[in-house]
Amino acid sequence: MAKSAMAAPIRQRRPAAKGVALNRVIIYTVLIFGAAAAILPFLYTVSVSLMNLTEATGGRAFPNTPQWSNYVEAWHDAQFSLYFMNSIKITLITVGGAIVFCALAAYAFAQMEFPGKGFLFTLLLSTLMLPEAITWVPNFITVSWLGRISPVPWINNWPALTIPFMASAFGIFLLRQFFQQIPKELWDSAQIDGAGHLRYLITVILPLSSAAVMTLVLFGFVGSWNALAWPILVTTTPDWRPISYGLLAFLDEAGALLHLQMAGALITMLPIVVLYFFTQRHFIEGIATTGLKG
Amino acid sequence: MDGSLSPSAAVRTDLLRQMQAVPRWYRGRQSRRLREMLLAYSFLAPAFIIIGLFGLFPLAFAAYESTLKGLNKIVGSYDGLGNYVKAVDNLIYIIAFWLAAGLILYAGRTIARAFQERRQQQTEPLPWLAPGFVTAVGVALFAHFVYLLLPELLLIPSKLRGQINTQAAFRGLVVEAWWLPKVQIALWGAIALLALGVGGALFVNSRLPRARRNRIYFAPFVSAGITVTAGAALAWLTWTEINAAYSDALEKGEGLDLWSQIVTISAGFLLLLLAWWVWESAGDRPSNTAMALRLGSAAMLMVGGWTLIGELPRVIAAGDQDWWIGLMATVYYVLGTAPIQLGLSLILAVLLFQKIRGQSVFRVLYFLPYVAPFVGTAAVFRIIFSNRPSAPLNSMLTMLGADPLLWLSEPTGIFQMIAGSHVDLGPILAGPSLALVAIMIYGIWTFVGFDTVIFLAGLGAIPNELYEVSAIDGADGWAQFRHVTLPLLSPTIYFLSLYAVIGTFKAFNHIFVLRQAAALGTTDTASIVIFQAFKRDTRYGYASALAILLLIIILAITMINNRVASRRVFYG
Amino acid sequence: MNTKRFWMLATLLVAAFTLAACPAPAPADEAPAAAMEKESEESAAAEAMDEGPCAPATDGPLAGIDPRGQTIVWWHQHSGSREEKLAVIVDDFNSGNECGITVDAQNQGGYNDIRDKVNASAASGEQPANVLVGYQNDQAFYQLNSVLADFNKFIDDPTWGLTAEEKADFFASFIEQGVHPVFDNQRLGFPPNRSMEVLYYNQTWLEELGFDGPPTTPQEFEEMACAAAQANGDGTGGYILRDDASALASWTFALGGNILNEDNTGYVYNGQATIDSMTLLKRMLDNGCAYFFTEGYPNPEFAARRASFTQGSSSGLPFYANDMKTIAEEMGRDIDEWGVTAIPYTTADPVQNIYGADIMITVSAPERELASWVFIKWFTSPEAQARWVEGSNYFPTRAATEEHLKGYVERNPQYGSALSLLQYGAYEPQLISYQAVRDAAETAYNEIMQGADIQATLDALTATANELQEELMGEME
Repeated sequence: MAKSAMAAPIRQRRPAAKGVALNRVIIYTVLIFGAAAAILPFLYTVSVSLMNLTEATGGRAFPNTPQWSNYVEAWHDAQFSLYFMNSIKITLITVGGAIVFCALAAYAFAQMEFPGKGFLFTLLLSTLMLPEAITWVPNFITVSWLGRISPVPWINNWPALTIPFMASAFGIFLLRQFFQQIPKELWDSAQIDGAGHLRYLITVILPLSSAAVMTLVLFGFVGSWNALAWPILVTTTPDWRPISYGLLAFLDEAGALLHLQMAGALITMLPIVVLYFFTQRHFIEGIATTGLKG
Repeated sequence: MDGSLSPSAAVRTDLLRQMQAVPRWYRGRQSRRLREMLLAYSFLAPAFIIIGLFGLFPLAFAAYESTLKGLNKIVGSYDGLGNYVKAVDNLIYIIAFWLAAGLILYAGRTIARAFQERRQQQTEPLPWLAPGFVTAVGVALFAHFVYLLLPELLLIPSKLRGQINTQAAFRGLVVEAWWLPKVQIALWGAIALLALGVGGALFVNSRLPRARRNRIYFAPFVSAGITVTAGAALAWLTWTEINAAYSDALEKGEGLDLWSQIVTISAGFLLLLLAWWVWESAGDRPSNTAMALRLGSAAMLMVGGWTLIGELPRVIAAGDQDWWIGLMATVYYVLGTAPIQLGLSLILAVLLFQKIRGQSVFRVLYFLPYVAPFVGTAAVFRIIFSNRPSAPLNSMLTMLGADPLLWLSEPTGIFQMIAGSHVDLGPILAGPSLALVAIMIYGIWTFVGFDTVIFLAGLGAIPNELYEVSAIDGADGWAQFRHVTLPLLSPTIYFLSLYAVIGTFKAFNHIFVLRQAAALGTTDTASIVIFQAFKRDTRYGYASALAILLLIIILAITMINNRVASRRVFYG
Repeated sequence: MNTKRFWMLATLLVAAFTLAACPAPAPADEAPAAAMEKESEESAAAEAMDEGPCAPATDGPLAGIDPRGQTIVWWHQHSGSREEKLAVIVDDFNSGNECGITVDAQNQGGYNDIRDKVNASAASGEQPANVLVGYQNDQAFYQLNSVLADFNKFIDDPTWGLTAEEKADFFASFIEQGVHPVFDNQRLGFPPNRSMEVLYYNQTWLEELGFDGPPTTPQEFEEMACAAAQANGDGTGGYILRDDASALASWTFALGGNILNEDNTGYVYNGQATIDSMTLLKRMLDNGCAYFFTEGYPNPEFAARRASFTQGSSSGLPFYANDMKTIAEEMGRDIDEWGVTAIPYTTADPVQNIYGADIMITVSAPERELASWVFIKWFTSPEAQARWVEGSNYFPTRAATEEHLKGYVERNPQYGSALSLLQYGAYEPQLISYQAVRDAAETAYNEIMQGADIQATLDALTATANELQEELMGEME
């Protein structure tokens, strides 16, 4: 059933109507204008990252000759090769766990009946409402104590960097919103086919909500990749330190050298941009064909 | 199946008929419900263990810390509501009192509803009352146990200092704390009460005639019991604190301010609440009565508002100025970013969802600002919004013939700047400082990409067939948007608006990076004030109290949002 | 059937609670005590046999404590080239010290990150590093949780401590900064290096404008900055204002004032010296002889001749040197001659604002504490300190080090001229509220520059600062 939904042809959004040409012009104008606002500061970053020191501090818009060596210098000075692998490992573990745990909990909230649902959901949301600065000390205590009772050390190791982020109110809430939109009739018919909740979740709900799941993966990736304060708090040696630490230490060292700072910042974001570029087509088209082919 | 309603209703009645036809299904219903319940809990368990440790524990920790004072001390000395009084002065008594009243009211409503159902549907809530409340007291005792054990555990690190900091010593101290008599008494008391409550519920269930087992009132009564207990505890705490503060004030010869303030402000709020309620109820009446009611409510509104305007500033002046200024900046920040961010991203998402050339490129472009590490983009925005006359934005202004501005270094409110220097708009009407506005622009720039991606996912979940059907019906683009896209997107809109409000209320990172001393603190939102109290000054208790106050504000807004949304959000 | 399920659930619940309620009471209580006894027996035995290098002392308060073979973790904030040079020095210690002590120097981000880590460790029972870097008011915060060891017991020890000459060799004012009257005069910090607030100036440019050399008085300073600003004519060229609390303190010191009251318990921000310096700076800003640069460090501005003067920590010297060279190369001109000098002063001798992080030892097993001290003693010995200050451009904390720095000073004249100012030191307050007061002082500085009345603003700042101190002291009780 899910297969057939995925394989269905790309939709025709709207049958052609008159005035389309004008609409197109408006749409493109808005989009291009918006895109300009979104990326001009960004292009400026790219431009500065290719300048030399004189140009970078002189408030110039473009470099005379692009200094590609800035990237090489930033890469070496920030020891990115050391931290890249760490960040990839941390991110994969976190996102993998997040999908499983968030999907299970979101399914329970969206499609199952149990007492205390409203209360638990409010409780879940309220965990979002505490400023992060307040949570660092209690969470450090928790991580330290868990490290003392578990066979694996937590601090300065992967558990402290990944496990706290494997279940987030954000992820559960997001998935719940999407799971909830799936008609209950599908569950009724799945039941008649003899499917239990778990099988229904895996074979029907998840494929139908692949957009939401991919969104969760993407934001999990971004969050994990850019996390800074917590990783610095719970690591003491480079063994598990993520790329954001490398960038910070480098920014400290580069001090006034704006061009190198920019080059370093751009290097760290490249993997996420690539990931997004290659996944977005897939996940948006994947669910565009969502229909009730039950 | 095209997702329209009638076939699904048919399926449902069909299923019902099937179920009624098979008696075993019917008899198994309660056990199926139980099975589903247990399965649901086991689905929730992994996520809730993690969230419990890293989301709920900090909450409990903050609530506990907020009653303590001390510098760089996790277990400081007990100070009651002292930290809250420092922050918002007497207002905290009013907040606590109304919170307690609200909790008790909520419990009362739950019970009243149960008995209403009894009259209307012939259910049997009465026997559930005792087991429900016994369980609730058990839960409360369990909470008491947690708050007895917590300080004992938190004291262990200080005992571990230095050379005795070994694994064995740690375990020994944990075990010692666990076996403290008061801890054990609370624990076993809680277990006994919980067992008694659950046992009683099972007994009630077995004794009820089968026909009346349809509705089990155990859960609602437990929750009512818990809210009553919490409300009573809060009311008691407030009462003792007020009395202590009052006798303190008398001793100092400061007189009777406290009570009169509490009464006046409460009355003001009550009038506002009443006015709102009357206004709402006017909608159901014939027009003349409605008119009179609305006039009455307007009068109440004015009186209530006037009372508050008379009394609140005095209370505010007595609290922590940095905190009030921070809250003001936060409100500006939320109002200035959340709606714009959502509106822009909705427009972008809808446009990006059309069949257009370069769709994927646009999608990537809009997402870039969110992905870029903020240390990098913040540096760029510091240059763009620099006070130098030759900085990018200022040279643009000069080109347009305007004077350069100070941007991130400008503490003056934007409305004040627009109005010019000869009118003094006062602190509130002057609006957010230009510096804060610059930070808002940065915030919007960053988060539009985030919202757009989620909107795109939401748009993708709308079945095409609906568009096709509505197109056949002759709906044009706008009508489709109004009647198909918006309702079906409402779960996503609800999610994003809630998330945006929560997120902007506690926005921190980019504000902290972009704030400059030259803005004279006008960019310091509540989360910055909390951060400084916690990290710079290590006033854990005070910072926690501020965080709890912020949480109460966000929670209240969330609940209002939920009330509004529950009428409008449409799930398939 | 239903009731059966219910009963099963109930049994499960009860069982779960029972299990939760009964962790096996471990017989752990006696273990540490026993271990400790055993240890002390062992060390007593070892003491009887041991002689030779690094053997435990036979008498004195540290008798019988054996630092040999310990591994010491050091949390510091040095990154980049400083971290590399530090690693080389530490490696030399590890391979060369006769006690077999191993030091593991680890970067932990910035000062604030170290502070957060130590405070979080204290809150959770995690053992922080044995040796820490941090400012003097951090020491006070740490000691609220009894995290730090008292240096006095090591310094004064007949076997392990410093001789009278060695003690006298340290600049008295540096070594006294770590003594905390609030905590029974414990010595919680020890000075490995120091920095100083200095004025950076462009000598070549000043000569082109017709001046001989750097200014010494505020009048000369103002005149030169104005001349340079006029030469540039676009709002730049003058002095870059620094809205930092240390800068404010430096100007107050230079004009003969202080920001700490006489009994060292509160703040005085409204003394005549502070008022005079604010008046001067505000006038310079109004006349275009000074300007704000808010986009980052000012060194590239200075190097690109958009500023004739900047003010900042002497630890920025290598960065200035680097930028001067890079920008001159990129622009294809000769490097301007530049230097550092005292903040323009009206006192007889130039009073310098000297600051710098201390090194601390955390409370742990006595062997570790002692091993930490053995390392610190080595690290602050004249030879090691000379290597470190050469690598880092910090200033030494004892007189004997200067002997070893002669060649370096010749090669780095700017460093040399700053070094000669080291003797005229003054310090910023070490009160527990100083972090918060710094922020308030920076706000007040900006208020004045934006046109607020100087006297009134500084009066208000003094009141606010003392309130903050009172508030934090109130929390401590």
